[in-house]
Amino acid sequence: MPGTDSSVPFIRVTGLKKSFGAQKTLQGVDLDICHGETLVLIGPSGEGKSVLLKHIIGLLHPDEGRVELDGVNLCSMTERQLLIARQRMGYLFQNAALFGSLTVAENVAFPLKEAGLRDQKQIADRVHEALDLVELSAHKDKMPVNLSGGMRKRAGIARAIVTRPECILYDEPTAGLDPVVTDVIDHMIQRMQKRFRVTSVVITHDMSSVFRIADRVVMLKNGVVSFNGTPGELRASPEPEIQNFIAGRSGLIA
Amino acid sequence: MSVLVEMLALPGRSFLNFLSYLGQLGRLVADLAHSIFRGRLRILQMAEQIVGIGYGSQAVVVVTGAFTGAVFTAQSYFKFKDFGIETTIGGIVSVSLCRELAPVLAGLMVTGRVGAAMAAEIGTMKVNEEIDALRVMGVHPVDYLVQPRFFAMMISMPLLIAESIVFGLAASALVSSLAFHIPFTWFWTHVVDHTNHTDLIFGMTKGFFFGILIVLISCHQGLTAANGAVGVGLGTTRAVVFSSLALLVVNFFLTMLLNYFFPLGTAL
Repeated sequence: MPGTDSSVPFIRVTGLKKSFGAQKTLQGVDLDICHGETLVLIGPSGEGKSVLLKHIIGLLHPDEGRVELDGVNLCSMTERQLLIARQRMGYLFQNAALFGSLTVAENVAFPLKEAGLRDQKQIADRVHEALDLVELSAHKDKMPVNLSGGMRKRAGIARAIVTRPECILYDEPTAGLDPVVTDVIDHMIQRMQKRFRVTSVVITHDMSSVFRIADRVVMLKNGVVSFNGTPGELRASPEPEIQNFIAGRSGLIA
Repeated sequence: MSVLVEMLALPGRSFLNFLSYLGQLGRLVADLAHSIFRGRLRILQMAEQIVGIGYGSQAVVVVTGAFTGAVFTAQSYFKFKDFGIETTIGGIVSVSLCRELAPVLAGLMVTGRVGAAMAAEIGTMKVNEEIDALRVMGVHPVDYLVQPRFFAMMISMPLLIAESIVFGLAASALVSSLAFHIPFTWFWTHVVDHTNHTDLIFGMTKGFFFGILIVLISCHQGLTAANGAVGVGLGTTRAVVFSSLALLVVNFFLTMLLNYFFPLGTAL
């Protein structure tokens, strides 16, 4: 059964390179992500964290290198083959990417209906459960345009988790959220891992979230992995660059 | 020298861009064919689109048809009365409406209303990453967005053209009887004498192909939109301009081809 052999990494990224025009965003990223682990991607803005995440789910095609899901190369798949592979994953977009023409509940129900679920009660229960996890049940009938940025993001998270995928990729799940809701989302990510052994890849700039949820931390800098280790190793790293990043120091003097 | 090279390169580059555009449209057609023949039909979304495209466009095509019929009647009368053949107006108006005026003018109006809406809606979804959201949820954008619109246009357009023809003829009858005092019996006799049901089929067939043209060009512009609001605006403009031009060019070839199957003045 795929997804259970712990000797094979669930996701393996090898020599990934991607350029946009003259801008070399990824310059040879190597990364293994194991089943059930929560990996947090950190690094300065514009260093290709979202680009890497989009390669993992096959939204972008690399210039060089490969991305394997359970040993199967996603980069050699057609778009229609990728559609099937992606059903094992959930994805939270940085801007949530909710469908503007559907209510919050309809947005969350969308992947269930598309996956073929027809029982309306079962759909309603699953939607309620997902919205409850992100504390958004009270707003289920609102249109996305009437939600705050943080609420939109939480609705996006509910939509990403509602199908109970094996792996969820979060692009800045707590950006723009207040500290209490950030804590709720962090706990939800931890709970998903403990209860369903969900593999999570999280991009965040919130260092308290990093130390709260990460099994492993990867830092991207100049298009390559510049750090790969546990949160404890990150904290103990002697690299001034990493320490400045953790402390949020720019080095500028007022 | 560089200016000369640039001038020489321009037509070549435009031609290559045009070939690339045709290639992208071909790819969209291939995806659509896969969606239709190997995917599932999205009846609910198709019904929603028929309401939006077909039902919602009625006012536009009715007004277009009616005033085209009215003005063509008036212009024909002004000249025909010199020869004393103004009572034959019904024949020429009905044949012209069925074969050319209603399909082309209503087609252009639907391009403006529906083509622009399609390109803007899909383009906005593209720049808001909603198209990527579909892809990550295992849904092909062509299956969800293009296929229902394609069927909706194929069904709606011929009916809209027929409606446009009917209202064009009604307006023509009104103008000829009320403004030019041509007895309705004479008007209608000439309509029946000179118009066959093949003329109606001729116009509706054109509508069918125009519908396909509009949906492919407009959805392609939406799906390839980039660079935020500016890109959506550009895509919408292109959708209307490209669809309108393509419609006029294809109309000529359709006229030549369909006249082979449905020659003027003959019944099936």
